[in-house]
Amino acid sequence: MDLINNTLLSDVFLVTWLAGSIRLAAPVLMAALGETIGEVSGVLNVGVEGTMLAGALAAFISANETGSPVLGLAVSVGVGLAVSLFLGWMYVTVRASQVVVGVVFNAAALAAASYTFRAIYGNSPGVMTVSGFRPIEVPLLHRIPILGGSVFTQSPLTYITFALVFGVWVMLYRTRLGLALQAVGDHPKMADAAGLSVAKLRYLGVLASGAFSGCAGGFLMLTAANAYRDNMISGKGFIALAIVIFGAWNPVRALWAALIFGAADAMQLSLQAAGYTFVPQLMFALPYLLTIIAVSGLFKRRTQPSALLLPYRRS
Amino acid sequence: MSRRNLAVPLIERRRTPIGGPWFGIAIALAAVATGLLLGGLLFIPFDSAPVDGYSTLFREGFGTGRGLGDTLVKAAPLIFIGLGTIVTWRAGFFFLGFQGCLLIGATGSAVVALAASDGRPLDWAPTAAMIPLTLVAAAVTAGIWSGIVGYLKARHDGNEVLLSLMMNFVAAFLLNYLVSGPIRAEGALPQTERFDESAHLPLLLGSSNNLHFGVVVATVLVVAIAGVFRLTAFGYDLSATGHSPRAARYGGIGIATRTIQASVLGGALAGLAGWSQVLGVQYRLLDGLDTATGFEGIVAALLGGLRPIGTAVSSFLLGGLSIGAQVMQRRTGIPASMAQVIQGLIVLAILASGPLRYYKVNLRAVLGITAPTGDDGPGPPPGVSSPPAGPVAEPERNPGAQAADPAA
Repeated sequence: MDLINNTLLSDVFLVTWLAGSIRLAAPVLMAALGETIGEVSGVLNVGVEGTMLAGALAAFISANETGSPVLGLAVSVGVGLAVSLFLGWMYVTVRASQVVVGVVFNAAALAAASYTFRAIYGNSPGVMTVSGFRPIEVPLLHRIPILGGSVFTQSPLTYITFALVFGVWVMLYRTRLGLALQAVGDHPKMADAAGLSVAKLRYLGVLASGAFSGCAGGFLMLTAANAYRDNMISGKGFIALAIVIFGAWNPVRALWAALIFGAADAMQLSLQAAGYTFVPQLMFALPYLLTIIAVSGLFKRRTQPSALLLPYRRS
Repeated sequence: MSRRNLAVPLIERRRTPIGGPWFGIAIALAAVATGLLLGGLLFIPFDSAPVDGYSTLFREGFGTGRGLGDTLVKAAPLIFIGLGTIVTWRAGFFFLGFQGCLLIGATGSAVVALAASDGRPLDWAPTAAMIPLTLVAAAVTAGIWSGIVGYLKARHDGNEVLLSLMMNFVAAFLLNYLVSGPIRAEGALPQTERFDESAHLPLLLGSSNNLHFGVVVATVLVVAIAGVFRLTAFGYDLSATGHSPRAARYGGIGIATRTIQASVLGGALAGLAGWSQVLGVQYRLLDGLDTATGFEGIVAALLGGLRPIGTAVSSFLLGGLSIGAQVMQRRTGIPASMAQVIQGLIVLAILASGPLRYYKVNLRAVLGITAPTGDDGPGPPPGVSSPPAGPVAEPERNPGAQAADPAA
């Protein structure tokens, strides 16, 4: 009772929890949006995790050298595009197994990021931080009790991510391009016969996934982490993959899925701040357990792109 | 393919893709060369010539008795994970949860090993009894852990790729919880007490070399798993399930059962990686005892063409690379993670080599000999590139089929 009345329903707790949920959800949602585009076109890009780390490191280095977070973010998008060009070549042109390429790429990217950071800053550089984006209070709206301090006091990148949810939704469901992407993801043979280039559209899907993932890495670096660690992504890329599935390949549903994950993650931080220490490991594990339930097949919604994971070969 | 409208094209398309173990070995060697060549660039920012760098690295990994012992000790868990990869992936079950199995197997065997301390139930047990007890504990706990994923995949069509990846994180948190609470020893660090001597894996070459008994177990299992695939109906069923589930079902093989069996066996093998780490190297369970072996073992298996003997060889090479890189980091400051970069490059090169199977270089044309050969008949008509029948035509959802091809 004490826990519920004095803590869970108190304003301070609600504000920190809500704010934390959104703050933690946004970067992962960003990566999930790009991944949705890629998967709709028929490519499961498991390399999100490694791409996010590459983006984060790129943002760190460029923001550290120039002092400009905007430039840091731009470089992280560029690096995301560059690595996904390679991944797209492996997925679409070479037609290697998407899961295997993604997993090996992630391992290589982790090692390469670790190497690059040490090659530039030495083996024990101490704590180095970069300055990132500060939270912006939305005029007027930030005065609303509870919501003002949480929903309407967020990093600019968070607002952009939420705007992108609707942008990606419109692109996928209300434009020719979106229709074409869906076509090559569901029925590549028919799409090919109808004159669409399966390879080009799938490259586009992978590049979108890479740009969003790289950006998500930069987002994490420039709003939350502000310092590079080898394990800073620690599975967020895989959670993004789970959000895509949880969200049934729909950007708006992915938004809700991301918020659920964010809320589970933030709950542990907020309870800790309020002085409660449950088994902290259980709280840490909660987002992963949620993902396990989501992809266990026990609650199946069969809506995935029918040609997902299947390389296409003209015949 | 060739728009050069010449009588003899430089590169011809094969009617059937080339395959077989020798081609796989050739590709693996070419990939190793590519990886080492590109990886050589990583020495340059440290003002170290690649040739010198590599000679130090290989001397430390393979050139001294002590180094060789360390390399074999490093290779053992890679072999266990690699064998787990072979069993699961050849059965078409794309399990990526070996890291979690390693941690769970380490935990299971550590709990048994802790019972060997003074005054505990297994105080009486000599090393000869502790080895099988801890080994079984690791295999059973890890087998159950991976069996959960196998069950969800086989009975509920769960996504084994994401399931197993998420289970890795849960395993890490479980280990963290256990060593910071229930089985934590006195002291500042989250770890258990040191195991009783009777629960240490015996050192084979005395105390100056780290080579331990786990390496023997790994070697025996390489031969055993090779035998399972070559000689037993069970091994055949697993391969058939992975190669073409539909045909396997038609042939009377219970796909779901085989998938679950493969997941349990693969996880149990991976659990032994944890067993050999805690009982042969650390002598205690501790938080963060391993972060990457579960994936490096997959890399070793891919480099070994998903074959047991090949995986043993590649584990040995990758193990030596890691050990050499660690010594090099201590001496020269070049980050040891370059070994993993090189590993990644090697396997990415193998994965990218798929199209090579469909082409051959026409040596006569390259050398400028214009005489028509006539042996192979004319090349395929330009513009017509019919896909070869075989693995690609298989319509089953089979994400790793192409990676497994070199082994097929």
